[in-house]
Formats: sequence, structure tokens, C-alpha cells
Amino acid sequence: MNGHTSEHQLHWETSPWPLVLSIGILFLLPFAFSFYFVYSKPVMAVLSLGIGVPLTVLAIAGWISEGVGQKDEPGFSIAAMPLFIVAEAFIFVAFFVAYWVMRLGAPFWPPAGTPEISTGVPIIMTIILVSSSFTIHFGEVKMERGDKGGFLTWLVVTIILGTLFLVLSMTEYSHLFAEGFNFKTNSYSTAFFSITSFHASHVLVGIGMFICILIPALMGKMSKSFVKAASMYWHFVDIIWFFVVTQVYFWWAL
Amino acid sequence: MHITYEALEHKPGLGQTLKEWIFTIDHKRIGILYLIGSMAAFAVAGLMALLIRIELSSVGPTITSNPGTYNVWLYFHGAAMILAFQIPALTGFLANYLVPLMIGAKDMAFPRLNALSLWLYWMGIIVALLTFVIPDSPDIMWTGYPPYSLKTGGNTAFYVFTVHLMGFSSIVGGINLITTILYMRAPGLTWNKLNIFVWSTLGAFILQMIFIPVLAAAVTTLLFDKYLGTHFYDPSAGGDVLLYQNLFWFYSHPAVYVILLPTIGIIFDIVATFARNRVFNYKMVVYGGIGGVVLMSGEVWIHHLFTSGMPDWIRIGMMISTLLISIPVGLLMIGLLGTLYRGAIQYTTPMLYAVGFIFLFLIGGLTGIPNAMTAIDLYIHDTHFVVAHFHYVMAVASTFAIFGSIYYLFPKMSGKMYSETLGKIGFFILFAGVNITFFTMFIIGFKGMPRRYYDYQQFAHLEGLQRIATIGAFIIGLGALVVLISWIHGLVAGKKAPDNPWGSKSIEWMTSTPPPPGNFSQIPVLSGEWHPYGYGRKE
Repeated sequence: MNGHTSEHQLHWETSPWPLVLSIGILFLLPFAFSFYFVYSKPVMAVLSLGIGVPLTVLAIAGWISEGVGQKDEPGFSIAAMPLFIVAEAFIFVAFFVAYWVMRLGAPFWPPAGTPEISTGVPIIMTIILVSSSFTIHFGEVKMERGDKGGFLTWLVVTIILGTLFLVLSMTEYSHLFAEGFNFKTNSYSTAFFSITSFHASHVLVGIGMFICILIPALMGKMSKSFVKAASMYWHFVDIIWFFVVTQVYFWWAL
Repeated sequence: MHITYEALEHKPGLGQTLKEWIFTIDHKRIGILYLIGSMAAFAVAGLMALLIRIELSSVGPTITSNPGTYNVWLYFHGAAMILAFQIPALTGFLANYLVPLMIGAKDMAFPRLNALSLWLYWMGIIVALLTFVIPDSPDIMWTGYPPYSLKTGGNTAFYVFTVHLMGFSSIVGGINLITTILYMRAPGLTWNKLNIFVWSTLGAFILQMIFIPVLAAAVTTLLFDKYLGTHFYDPSAGGDVLLYQNLFWFYSHPAVYVILLPTIGIIFDIVATFARNRVFNYKMVVYGGIGGVVLMSGEVWIHHLFTSGMPDWIRIGMMISTLLISIPVGLLMIGLLGTLYRGAIQYTTPMLYAVGFIFLFLIGGLTGIPNAMTAIDLYIHDTHFVVAHFHYVMAVASTFAIFGSIYYLFPKMSGKMYSETLGKIGFFILFAGVNITFFTMFIIGFKGMPRRYYDYQQFAHLEGLQRIATIGAFIIGLGALVVLISWIHGLVAGKKAPDNPWGSKSIEWMTSTPPPPGNFSQIPVLSGEWHPYGYGRKE
């Protein structure tokens, strides 16, 4: 065995943040949900959230401050993001399968109890999301050219567009709730709210990623490969929206 | 060339050591923490199995008169053995510990994500263990079929969150490992020179990335249905109960290949090392065997639903695809036997486990063929025959591989040698125990005894056989105890291990024992002739 010398790591490397994040997730999701929905103890649920949210935020902040801006950054994020996207895509596949199984098995569609769902709002939401895909791409181009100000501007525009999308989504939900169309109404509402809210949660995660880029960038730390990975994720969220809008919103008259 | 471990050791204090373990982002320590978690799960789930066996040892209520309690044992035994023991032991412990060493890398591509997947897995264990604390323990097997899982008073949410946490952990681990294998191989380590274990781990994680999300979606819909009032599985509102079975087995059948692939991968490494022989037909094993299993694993899940009311054309199609998947698996077996053929075999403890694996896997595999045929399956579906089949082929065979690999890696991990005598005694007790238990179950099942029954008044004549199976279960328990003693004995009183006690050619044995932080003092550069299985006839 031949070899060339490299610098030795002479100590065991450590980081507390993965452990803190896992504990945060444990309180944030399983415990809070179980206390609220299974055991009907809202106080305990709020308490769980009170432990889970700060731990999660703290862990993410600590993780970023450790990880972003390392000198010898290997830049594997771009390689890893497609794998994550494959995994995410298959969750959507499963939800769409569930939707089509219910829909093709139904004697008529939409089932009774479904109100008129506006077609204008999803079109506006589509325009917003597609343009946000362009804005983050512009930001990436600016970053490649070394124009940090331009990059930050486009990043902020993207975050605003993403937030606008979520706001529209929430207003639409509240309209539908007011018309008595919610999670429990019928099989269409089951699929509609599961798929759209699951997509919205991905938009939320995307915005979270962008904020995790924005704050360190304002403090002068940046990881190019993470920016590219986050933008790839955002394009994925955009593509999934096409499936959501065509199949859940517009194919209901077919 | 080698820097010794002692030279690196800085004799940290207790607090420092604790910190270096709990906050570690080193793949070897993460692997060992995975091992501890999975062995704890194995112990608790094994106790559940003993309780189940005692309950079945006589007709009528034996140690509990509450069938619900029996369901909780079944739930915990199944869920913990598969989700918390086998998959983490193979894709968590073994893959984490071995893959970076086998490809000559300093660590994983994302060390912190690696720690995240470890701790998410531990949180999953915590949620699973809460089963014994909460009043409404989950009682829905590891499958969680609706409508029972929706109507039961048990806590379905904890089952769902266990799956979520462990699934997310596996996905994060999968992203990490695939990236590591793709981009961090040592210079000169080409695709055709990877250890079979690395290939099989790659295959297993490709399956995890594709199929786990479907399981996550399936259990999420269960959660929505039970606690938020949606109608995925409510036929009165247009839902479909069969949908869950399909989504569930669409993951859970490939999950057995997630378990099988690393299992057979490490068996290949053990067999090649102790037979001092090249892997027979390496390319056939990798591309035909592992590649074939990966390609075909997603097309066979309906054989779990042969009695669930499927159209005949689907059942016959899936019967054929199920039978066809025995071809790549057969290639793997041919590869194993060819590697043994004309080898200079040393029967050390890991090798005994490997040979034991081949025997058990063969029985399990051959009894899978009648299960796959719809005409026979209608008769033996949901009987003890199926239980015996999947315990042979998946549960016991993989556990043998896990134990064998722990013995195989024992010197590397701990720096000490275990006692061969104790190891072999443990092996033979285990081997006798599993065959007594599970071969008897074939007979019990073929005589018609359904699985999951806690009492069997109609099958009272099977009591004697049931008792034999229970005795076998206690022999397994004794064997596991001896195995544990042999490990503790090795840790406490073992002799110091050399760097390469087995004389293996593969990269993980080139570094010092135990490997230092960063694994290699120099990144290994491999010559053109080097091959992990390059054992000449005469050395």
C-alpha cells in the first residue's frame, strides 16, 4: 500500500447540535401531537412545543454557525439534494396514488358536500411560485458572478414570493373552512387538504432554508453549494405544484 | 506507516470522554452507538418473543388472560425487531462502521447528518419504549392495518411516530451513505474493486430512498384518519382499506431486501476472508445478484395480499414476479457457494455464523416458493408456516449475519480478541435453538394453526409441538446470553488484537486497531493489482 501524507486529525470531532435537534424534533412532533390529539391535554402540548421549538431553532442556528463557511468545504450538498428530492417525490407519489384510488373508485366526482372551488386563486399561486423559481435562479447567477448585493436582493424577493404563496393558501383555506369544506368533509376534501397542505409545508421548509442562507450571508458567511442545493429544492417544490394544481384543482371536472 | 492508537490517545477525563461519545460525529463511534441501540432493542423484543412463546406453550390463557396484552407483545416484538434492531444494526451500525473504512475514506460525506440520523433513531427507540409506560399501548402488530388500527383504543400515533423517526433517520443516513460511496472512494478504488458489502449497502440504501417515503405517507394517512378525521380508509366516505395494505407492503416487502442485501454482503466478506478465496464470479454477484434484487424488489409486494381480495390477473402476475426474484437471490447463493469451493476454510466463530446463515437462508428461501404460489398460499397464508418462513429467511438468517459480523469486527472495534471457545458454544446453542423453534413452526403451520392467535382451543392437538417450539425459544435465549457473555468476556479479558487478525486483503484491515480519528494516517492509494478479494492460491 502506497500513500501520500495528509494532515492527521488527532482528536475525536464533536458537535452537540444533531443531538439537540433530535430532542427538539421529538418534542415538536410526536409529543406535542400526542398530547393534543391523543390525550387531549392542550397544556402539555403547548409545553412540549415550548421545549421543542426553542431547541430546534437553537440547534439549527448552532449547526449553521458551525457548518457554513468552513474553509475546506467539500460541497457535497449539490450531490445529496437530488437524493433527498427522490425521497420527497415518492411521498407525493403515495399521496397522489391515494387520491386517484379514491377518485377512480367513486361513483361520481366531486363527491357530495364539495363547494365551488375558485380557479382564479390557484392560477395566481402558480404565477407566484413559477416567478419565485426564476428569481432564485437570478440570485444564483448573481452569486456566481460574485455580486453579493444582487444575490441578496433576489433571495429576499424569493422569500417574499414564497410567503405570499403561503398567505394566499391560508386565505383560500379559511374561505373553504367557512363554506364547511374541511379535512373531515368527504374523500375529495381528504385528498385536497392532505396534498395541498403537504405541499405548503414544503414551501415552508424551502423558505426556512432560504432564511438559513440569508442570515449567515448578512453576517458574511456563505456556502455556495448549499445555496445551489436549496435552489434545486425550490425548483422541485415548484414542479410538484404543477402536479398539485393540475390534478387536484383542475381535473375535478373531467 | 501506521500511527498507533496509543500515540494518539490523549487520556481524556471522564467528562471529556462522555462528551466525545455523546456529541461524536465520527462514523465509527456513531456505528457503535447504533449497535448499542439495536442490541437493546433486540433484548427487549426478544423478551417479548419469550412471553409470546410461553403464552402459546399451553392451550388456554397461560400467563395473561387478556388478548390485548398479547397483541401488545406481538406489536413490540415485530416493530422493534424489524425497525429498531435489524435495519439499524445492518444499515446503521454495519454500514456506518464499515463503509468509510472499506472505501478508504476519513469519514462520511456529512458527519453531522450522520449524528442526526443516529439520534433520530434513538428518539424512535424512546417513542417505541414508551409502549410500556402509557396506558393505551399500541396493539396493531407492526403492520398497523386499518380498520383495526383506526378503531382500537391503543395509541396508533406512537406507532406512526416511531416509523416517522426511524424512517427519517434512514433517509438521512441513505443520502449520506450514497453520497459517501459515490464521491469519497480512495484513489484507485474502482467500481469493480468495491467490497460486496459496499455494493450491497448501496443497493439497500437505494431501496430505502425510494420506498421509505411511501411507508411514511401510508402511516401519515393512518394518523390523519384516526386523529384528524379524514377518510382515506373509510369505505363509507369513498376510502379504500386495501390502499393501506398496498402502500404498506410497497415499502415493507422491499424492506426485507434492505435487510437481506447488507446481510448477504457482509456474509460474502466473511466467507471470502476465511475461505482465503476470491469471490466467485464477482460481476455476476454484483450486477446480477444485487442489481437484480434492487430492480425486482418493487414488483412483488402483492404476494402479501394474496388473500385480501385481489383480481386473479394481479395475483398471477405477482406470483410470477415473486418466483422470478429467486433468480438474483440464487445468483447470490451460487456466488457464496463458489467462494467456499476449494477455499482454505478456517472455521472461526464469524465463519460458523456465515455457514449457519447459508443453511438457514436456504431453508427459508426454499419454503418461500410454496408461499409464493397462490394455490398453496391460500392454504398456508397467515399460518405459523409463514411465521416460520420469514423467521428463517429474514429474522434468524440476518441475526446470524449480524452476530457473525460483530465477531468479525470485534478485534477492529475493541482492539481485543474474543474467546473462540465461548463464541462457538454460543453459536451452536443458537443454531440448535432456532431450528428447534422454527422448524417445529413449519409443521404447526402446515397443520393449520393460524398466526397471531393467543389461544388455540380448536388446535389443542398441537399443544405438544407448541411446547417444543417454546423450549427452542428458551434455548435461543440461552444462546443469546452466552453470546453476550462472550462479548463482555472479550472486552474485559480479551488479548490485545493485532491490526489484521484475519489476514484480510480489504482496506478496513489496513489501518491500526482500533482505527484512530480520521481512520487512516495516510489516504490509502491502491495499486492496479490490488483487489479486496485478491487471495492467490498460494501466498
